[in-house]
Amino acid sequence: MANFNIDAQKDVTYDAIVIGSGISGGWAAKELCEKGLKTLVLERGPIVEHVIDYPTMNLDPWDMELRGGLTPEEQAKHYKTMRTGFVGKDTEHFWANDEENPYTEVKPFLWVRGHQMGGRSLLWGKQTYRWSDLDFAANAKDGHGVDWPIRYKDIEPWYTYVEKFAGISGEAIGLPQLPDSHFLPPMELNCVEKSVKQRLEKNFPGRNLIIGRAAHLTVPLNGRGKCQNRNRCSRGCPYGAYFSSNAVTLPAANATGNLTIRPYSIVQSIVYDDKLGKATGVRIIDAETNEAIVYNAKIIFCNASALSSTQILLNSTSSRFENGLGNDSGELGHNLMDHTYRIGAMGKVEGFEDKYYKGRRPNGIYIPRYVNLDGGPQSDKFVRGFGFQGGGGRGGHAANLPAVGADLKNQLVKPGPWEFFITGFAECLPYHENKISLNRDVLDKWGQPTLSIDAEFKENELALNKQIQIDAVEMLEKSGVKDVVGFDNEHYPGFGIHEMGTARMGRDPKTSVLNGFNQVHAAKNVFVTDGACMTSSSCVNPSLTYMAITARAADHAVTELNKRNL
Amino acid sequence: MNRRDALRKTGLLAGATMAAPSLLALLQSCQAEPRVDWQPEFLTEDEAVFVSSFVDTLLPRTDTPGALDVKADMFMDKIWAHTADEAGQAAVRADIAKFNTDCKEQHGKPFAELSEGDRMKVLTAAESTSPTFNGGVWGTAVGKQEPVGFYRSLKSMAIWAYSTSEKVGTEVLNYDPIPGDYIGCLPLEEVGNKWSL
Repeated sequence: MANFNIDAQKDVTYDAIVIGSGISGGWAAKELCEKGLKTLVLERGPIVEHVIDYPTMNLDPWDMELRGGLTPEEQAKHYKTMRTGFVGKDTEHFWANDEENPYTEVKPFLWVRGHQMGGRSLLWGKQTYRWSDLDFAANAKDGHGVDWPIRYKDIEPWYTYVEKFAGISGEAIGLPQLPDSHFLPPMELNCVEKSVKQRLEKNFPGRNLIIGRAAHLTVPLNGRGKCQNRNRCSRGCPYGAYFSSNAVTLPAANATGNLTIRPYSIVQSIVYDDKLGKATGVRIIDAETNEAIVYNAKIIFCNASALSSTQILLNSTSSRFENGLGNDSGELGHNLMDHTYRIGAMGKVEGFEDKYYKGRRPNGIYIPRYVNLDGGPQSDKFVRGFGFQGGGGRGGHAANLPAVGADLKNQLVKPGPWEFFITGFAECLPYHENKISLNRDVLDKWGQPTLSIDAEFKENELALNKQIQIDAVEMLEKSGVKDVVGFDNEHYPGFGIHEMGTARMGRDPKTSVLNGFNQVHAAKNVFVTDGACMTSSSCVNPSLTYMAITARAADHAVTELNKRNL
Repeated sequence: MNRRDALRKTGLLAGATMAAPSLLALLQSCQAEPRVDWQPEFLTEDEAVFVSSFVDTLLPRTDTPGALDVKADMFMDKIWAHTADEAGQAAVRADIAKFNTDCKEQHGKPFAELSEGDRMKVLTAAESTSPTFNGGVWGTAVGKQEPVGFYRSLKSMAIWAYSTSEKVGTEVLNYDPIPGDYIGCLPLEEVGNKWSL
């Protein structure tokens, strides 16, 4: 699918500008282009064309000089992101350069970024779940944060719309707290997962263990191939089997002839015209030449990722907005959320030694939230809730095999013991004091102010984590898992890589940044539809909601544009 | 990334910080002291001799290739040379020296010069006294990992070097680069050995 139009030089005026090309930016580009708008996508990193720019997609370990190992220089380049445990030579080129793009951790925070066309849509976990009114009504119900300006009924048609195009595999089971998507056939549970499911659902009525709902094609769709179970997703998928901007939305946008994508374009700020009372364009710095350029458009979509979109708004000052574009409420940069992560349990499962599986399924199991449901018992220890991801497989650390010599070799070639684990993801409340701010003392490679990130988990999150640990151990122990070990590994905000908030949607311009259609209250031709817009965090993976919210906002933007309201 | 991947990566990282193996052939026939027939990038000649004899004892040639057949020792040398920082490299040298010192104290000779039986005794003893790796989830060891010590680290690295060699990865283990459909449950006998990827 080559031949993106990257020649933005000849034209500086567009109908729409989309800042960022990740999961939400790709959707904005597709929707706006398909609705006939000449759209410029500004991407701070290089072009990554589907398949063509996936250099490691077919490499076996022995094909790589250091078999995935990184040199000290490469490790230094990713010295923060290395904490995830995800960075290897196979994906190193898709993780942002931490040295060139510093940030300041006032309190420990892990900010994982992908600075290339497609952004983190190349790297994400593909877990895709609808949110429900348990989530959209949560703030109103318990008084934390402000009320969402939308409910499930507002976004439901858009979930369906994006799911049909993105391709989500999963099983429909009719849970109100985790509404079913428009599903492709589910991936398969393995024997141990089926066994644990059976016992868990029997011993814990009201709890479910399901195959992960995931943006992996299990049947071909729109010319994309189905998943081949190689589990090399983060290198880029040659079949286009998982959803990424590169494989799915940007090619669709490109097919309209309305797309221009400009790589190496670091957005410095959005230009706001005090007299017109709206934004008129975007100021960029060319990452390679340091040239400053202004592009003009009627509408602007901010999809740079939660923290980066807000960083741009904070840096977009004018006489009307001295503290950042749209910051009349003083909430811009505040209410940063993530999910807690890295707490759970694992153990061994016996009785399946003569069973194995074929394929490296890039998906696991999910246990939907079962605490504090509407109409159910409510905890007196915490509000909100948590869900679990996990899975079973034959593993074990080969170096632990209690053998040496020929004996070791014999054991080494046999599959290890069956293991099963679950790890919780808990909702984080929106706290005003969990915030990001511009740091003018630490500048990036291009002389731009960077972010200071000041966020922490508080009492409610810690109480949720405690319950996660207790429940995880109990569920595994009562589901046939032996030698169960609970774990509570070091973690702090950012580890979930589900950063949300800092430019929240709300009903009242006095307490929120965006309205119910993701428009900046006081600059209605600026839309923010990535994680920044989120008013609460749910315990459910957010990417599908970004897709739906973006498609909905794009539809609204074009409607309003046609009515000449923007 | 799935869990198998992550477990492997955990092992990789644990190994990379402490030690790494490569492959050499030991030429003991006509010389008083063992030598390696390759040029190490990081290790000294003596250290390379140690690493080669370690991986050869740990993963000897049987009816399948041994560690030396797939140049595990040479690869470990390369990993130390290119992925370890100075502190990590210094630690490797110190650990090798210490291991050999202990061998001399207990058996009178450095590891590589011991008889095959004594080398097995040394490894078996180390095996029984060395801490093990915690389980891993998605690239991270679960719980607080106590230091596993040089023996376990070196063993981990040797196994990694061995298992990810092309020969073992495609001919000894079960190589299935493009599985196609995922089958969640089938008799082990239909698969045979562990999947290599």
